[in-house]
Amino acid sequence: MGAPEVLIERLNHGVRKRNARWTFVGEHAFGDALSLRRFRLGNGLTVLTLVDRSAPTVSYHTWFRVGSRHERPGKTGLAHLFEHLMFNETTNHPPGEFDRLMERAGAEANAATWTDWTYFYENAPRDALPLLIELEADRMSNLVLRVPQVTSEKEVVVNERKLRVDDDVEGRALELLYASAFRRHPYRWPTIGWMKDIRGFTVQDCQAFYRTHYAPSNATLVIAGDFEERKALSLVQKYYGGLSGARGPEHSTPSKEPSQRAERVFELAAPTPTEKLLIGYRAPSFSDSDTPALVIANEVLFGGHSSRLYRLFCLDEEIALSVRGSISPFIDPGLFEMWIFLREGKEKAKALALLDREIERLGSEGPTLPELEKAINQLELSFLHSMETAGGKAEQIGFYETVALDGAAVFDRLAGYREVTADDVKHVVAKYLRPSRRTRVEILRKAS
Amino acid sequence: MSIFVETSDVLPLVDLEIALGVGSLQDPAGQEGLAQLTGHLMRRGPRGLSQERFEDRLASLGARLSVQVSMRSTRVRATVLRRHLEPLLDLLAGVIWQPALRARDFAKLKRQARAALIARLDDDETLGALCYREALFGEHPYSRGLSGNAQSLGRIGVRQVKDFYARHIANGAFVIGVAGDVTESEARALVASYFPRIGRRKRKSSDVPPTRVRRGRHVVIVDKPERTQTQLFIGTLGARTRDRNLFPLIVSNTAFGGTFSGTLMQQIRAVRGWSYGAYSRLLHSRQRDAWYMWTAPAAEYSADCAALQLDLLEHWVEGGIKKAELRFAQRYLINSHCFDRDTPSKRLEARLDVELLGIPPSYVEKYDQLVARVTRKQANEATRARISHRDLTIVAVATASDVASSFERLPGVKSLEVVPFDRG
Repeated sequence: MGAPEVLIERLNHGVRKRNARWTFVGEHAFGDALSLRRFRLGNGLTVLTLVDRSAPTVSYHTWFRVGSRHERPGKTGLAHLFEHLMFNETTNHPPGEFDRLMERAGAEANAATWTDWTYFYENAPRDALPLLIELEADRMSNLVLRVPQVTSEKEVVVNERKLRVDDDVEGRALELLYASAFRRHPYRWPTIGWMKDIRGFTVQDCQAFYRTHYAPSNATLVIAGDFEERKALSLVQKYYGGLSGARGPEHSTPSKEPSQRAERVFELAAPTPTEKLLIGYRAPSFSDSDTPALVIANEVLFGGHSSRLYRLFCLDEEIALSVRGSISPFIDPGLFEMWIFLREGKEKAKALALLDREIERLGSEGPTLPELEKAINQLELSFLHSMETAGGKAEQIGFYETVALDGAAVFDRLAGYREVTADDVKHVVAKYLRPSRRTRVEILRKAS
Repeated sequence: MSIFVETSDVLPLVDLEIALGVGSLQDPAGQEGLAQLTGHLMRRGPRGLSQERFEDRLASLGARLSVQVSMRSTRVRATVLRRHLEPLLDLLAGVIWQPALRARDFAKLKRQARAALIARLDDDETLGALCYREALFGEHPYSRGLSGNAQSLGRIGVRQVKDFYARHIANGAFVIGVAGDVTESEARALVASYFPRIGRRKRKSSDVPPTRVRRGRHVVIVDKPERTQTQLFIGTLGARTRDRNLFPLIVSNTAFGGTFSGTLMQQIRAVRGWSYGAYSRLLHSRQRDAWYMWTAPAAEYSADCAALQLDLLEHWVEGGIKKAELRFAQRYLINSHCFDRDTPSKRLEARLDVELLGIPPSYVEKYDQLVARVTRKQANEATRARISHRDLTIVAVATASDVASSFERLPGVKSLEVVPFDRG
């Protein structure tokens, strides 16, 4: 790779359109051997490049700062439906051609939507990069939205909802948890949307959504893997440089969720063979300074077979088959979710009492030093695993860029875990994991 | 000693795999689940270390360990931070050569295994897949679930586990693989140091009788209340690993149901929106394994979806694929093959599969050529030779009262059976 300033000068040579002129923003070390570079096109499109020649593949990610939090009641699920529609027709490519061209090139193309973002990705052989750039640029501005495609894709999403929620006991419970834990913030509705809303979308809804959110200034491209940076930037300039920088949403701040003062308890009866507990404690945002310590607490409680709760619930007391914990990685404060999958005939009340006891103990005594060491080593292992492929690296960079506003911060997080002390863990457990801050869903067996 | 090494210094990680060609096919009749229980009891650690201390040691090394049992293999897999590779090898040697196999651990493990059998009833897709294999293979060993069932687990004690370990594992011809941040010479020296006994007993391939197709179309409804959609598996026997039709069939199946652009996905999802996914899978083993289509349509049109799939299947088998479809499938398979080898652990896995599963080395080494060589005639003849559209097993996880009568009316159906989802 050449010096970025020289590279930019060459790429901008003779380019008059402001939207197509590059700016070099900065460069950050990405681990010991790689370098993450940040560029911006005149139309506001941010591009992050990470050249890594460890495999002859390339990963191309497009992250849009739009998710279900940008919807409104009555139109929930629109961001997710739109993600589906992006694989349809453009003015340059008929229906189905996007997938055909991608697959013929050996590329895996897919997308995901959650509360704060939507991203589209391709993992492809390195030679396919020009095709990826052309097709992604094309669908960012030339999508065709017609009744047949919207009608058919709505039906696909209806079926996806049945698969992931209506016929899935965990999906139903999670939906109930978020709808009950949040009363004002958009995190209260499911990303896939309420069924009634999905069925009600019109072509006009989709067109308005596209105009508002799918603009270069609302997107970040991440290119990671085995590619020539100069050629890639030149192609991005060619295909995206003509896009207007004028569009783009004005992001309003969502309603702040009022603090929770008392436990909320709900029951969900389902045709399930075993009862389950799903508990959501109000948790800090992903970028909050308390989050690393809470992640360590999660490892101590739920991380693998040596964790406190696996050992207690699954081995010593044998009241659960498995336990699981995670903290929602959201821009705004979310939930610390805990699952206890009870064994047949075991009592929820006992499980809850044990959980409360262990949380209380962690909050008062903190983790031991070996527990801290285990947690940090396990998090390091997970982190390195996520970085094994070009696609894994691109996903981490895109996520950190969109949620933490800095794609290079991915390594800072790992360093942050190493700085967490036992006192930090005690502090956050006592602060966040209080019964009055939680919402509990008890999943009951419904008699056949 | 069979050692395979894939080196890469990109990340300070090492993957290890210690594997043996012993799996659930070695389960004695009536003791289904024995191989898996043995592997999982080994996973609880070596002699001299309680399970708790073993787990603490693993976690503090930044290591993860699993024992995965399939029909034909037992694989002890670990990943570890490079700086802790040697202590992990020491622990693994204990797991392999001196597993504790304690009666107390076994009793807990067995209760856990029983609980897992019950818990999996929540997962409709898993239920459908298990029932599909049972219905397709009948009494053949390929129908056995890896985890056994409540009755078979009841017949297994720690004595049977110890016998299984002594007979099939203790002196087995292990294959060992190391991938990641380690040089070839380092890896070989470490393996020689910690696993000096590997490879003493010659592996004997197990005899499995040929699988037989059941004539006609047979429907099994796995009856579960309140289903808004149907998990649908439709299929028949597929191919053997060493089948001259295998690569032509892989190409043909890719065109039919192996990609988003394939016939199944286009007709069912893109055109009609009937299912979130629609694909066909071709499995191969020593004897003919399964081929099947999977979809998840809404309950109200699941029989219509099944009927459409039957039409598409007949058209594919009788009419074959077009030249453009062949070219597309070949390009997809060849171009995307780089993702089967873009990490050291994937490259290692392919080499171990050759060693353990009797896959001809050429399937890995000359994959691109074998795919590219397939002609349209070969693809279509292989499809007609191996895939029957008349002899089909149809499994639907659904609420029987909503769908049974419409499935009974599907063309050519000879029998329809309704089984409760929690029959055990």
